[in-house]
Amino acid sequence: MEPIIALENVSFSYKINENSTVSVLKDVSFSIFPGEYVAIIGHNGSGKSTLSKHFNGLLTPNTGEVWVKGHNTKDDSKKLDIRKGIGMVFQHPDNQIVATIVEEDVAFGLENIGVPRQEMKQRIDQALEVVKMSEFRNRPPHHLSGGQKQRVAIAGVLAMQPDCIVFDESTSMLDTFGRNEVLQVMRKMNEMGMTIITVTHRMSEAAEADRIIVVEDGKIVMDGKPREIFKHKEVLMQLQLDIPAVSQMAEMIHNQIPTFSKELIHEDELIDEVKRVSKVRSGEVV
Amino acid sequence: MASEFELSRNITIGQHVPTGSFIHRLDPRIKLLVFTILVIAIALNTSYVGNALGLLLSIYLFWASKIPVSYGLSGIKPAIPFIIILAVLQLIFQGNVFSGGKVFFEYGFILITSESIRLVIVSAVRFVEIILLSSVLTLSTSTTELTHSIQSLLSPLKKIKFPVHELSLIITIAIRFVPTFAIEMEKMMKAQASRGADFGSGEWWRIIQRTKDMLPIIIPLFNIALSRAEDLILAMESRCYTPGNDRSSYSVYRAIGRDYLVLIIGLLFSALLLFYRFPY
Repeated sequence: MEPIIALENVSFSYKINENSTVSVLKDVSFSIFPGEYVAIIGHNGSGKSTLSKHFNGLLTPNTGEVWVKGHNTKDDSKKLDIRKGIGMVFQHPDNQIVATIVEEDVAFGLENIGVPRQEMKQRIDQALEVVKMSEFRNRPPHHLSGGQKQRVAIAGVLAMQPDCIVFDESTSMLDTFGRNEVLQVMRKMNEMGMTIITVTHRMSEAAEADRIIVVEDGKIVMDGKPREIFKHKEVLMQLQLDIPAVSQMAEMIHNQIPTFSKELIHEDELIDEVKRVSKVRSGEVV
Repeated sequence: MASEFELSRNITIGQHVPTGSFIHRLDPRIKLLVFTILVIAIALNTSYVGNALGLLLSIYLFWASKIPVSYGLSGIKPAIPFIIILAVLQLIFQGNVFSGGKVFFEYGFILITSESIRLVIVSAVRFVEIILLSSVLTLSTSTTELTHSIQSLLSPLKKIKFPVHELSLIITIAIRFVPTFAIEMEKMMKAQASRGADFGSGEWWRIIQRTKDMLPIIIPLFNIALSRAEDLILAMESRCYTPGNDRSSYSVYRAIGRDYLVLIIGLLFSALLLFYRFPY
């Protein structure tokens, strides 16, 4: 299968002044395929946000290439095609809303790519429906909660019908409720066939993904399924990362009851395992 | 005391009062156009009768848009000192410029004539008319509609490469971020006050002191504004924003019969003010 995003030996450094640069990405290569749900994790300053800005050409590598749907991000004439294909939702819900009315903000991206008005209306309706914000379409954004604003921002990206959406720490400013709202939308969009890349340092969020890429000091140190990644607790700890609360709990129970599996990452798995070990089924003690 | 910090509650920009009246439902472009022409006509009319007509029209518009006139009067209140100062200055210094008519008073360089009194009264009334008219406009039209109308009315300027869309985007973003910054400033004031900073307790005439008091808020606010702007640019770029690009437009206004009627009436009224020689 043709990858949607392919990084080949990407290195990137920020220039501080004429003489000094800070190297952020060091020879990074990997590919992301259509329909994947990928979480990129790493502690603060590991380079994960810089990495995500390479996916739609906001940043271009100093050496190496980034290919998005077969276009090189260094090719300025393809920039619009690349950004139409890869949407991006950022951290601060407030700093990505442009218009004074919700539906107009969703329209902003569509106006930019010259979608005709009739189709625009239809796409806006759909996008607001997916994020469940239809009833707020005529509200000014500053009257919305953080989670609602973030959903408006997602609708704005969604309406452009990209193949892939990158969430750059989009849940870190939200409370538990707002975070769950956004996570639900992410899962729903992935089920609709969209490629999702989420940059996060929340392990429970990463566990939702199908694949985790661990970034440390500008390099990829691990890449695999969540269950595989979370087996390496010691390595993650060294990288100032953690394992999901569910896994921690499973491990604690495992230490007491060896038959209890410690390789659990989802809540429902934990419940099933408790049922299995205690032989409780459908509320009855067998 | 607590209300001192509640800035976001007092934001009045674009205080849209939706009453669903005839005026509210007019095409905003027509409203803005007629408003502009009326203001020019009023500014150029120097007769008592003409300005009385203008005043009546502004009050009628409040009635027609079902908005209490008190909304308009509250807009006049802060302008009263300026109106008075202007009137006094005109009365004292403009007598020799507008020296026609009867002379009422003469002392040194001070010359008060019937013409200079006319100037004083007419400019004060003019002020009130323009404030009332702009209140009707902003109270009956949402900011979104206004920015769209500005964009649409200025669009012929695109031919001479005037960045019409960019201008209207700047206005929209500015309006969009007013409440955000008000909330930000509120937080900042609370944070600074909780560490013992003191705002606004100095006497009002100690302008320098009071300005200095604001520095611990203004500087971080600028800082935040810049970092927000940077974020916003990234978000806009990610959504394919390219300045000078051909864009489509989501909101479309279509003027219908009554809009043209209002336009014609507005033009006739302005023509009357501009060209008819009123006896007084």
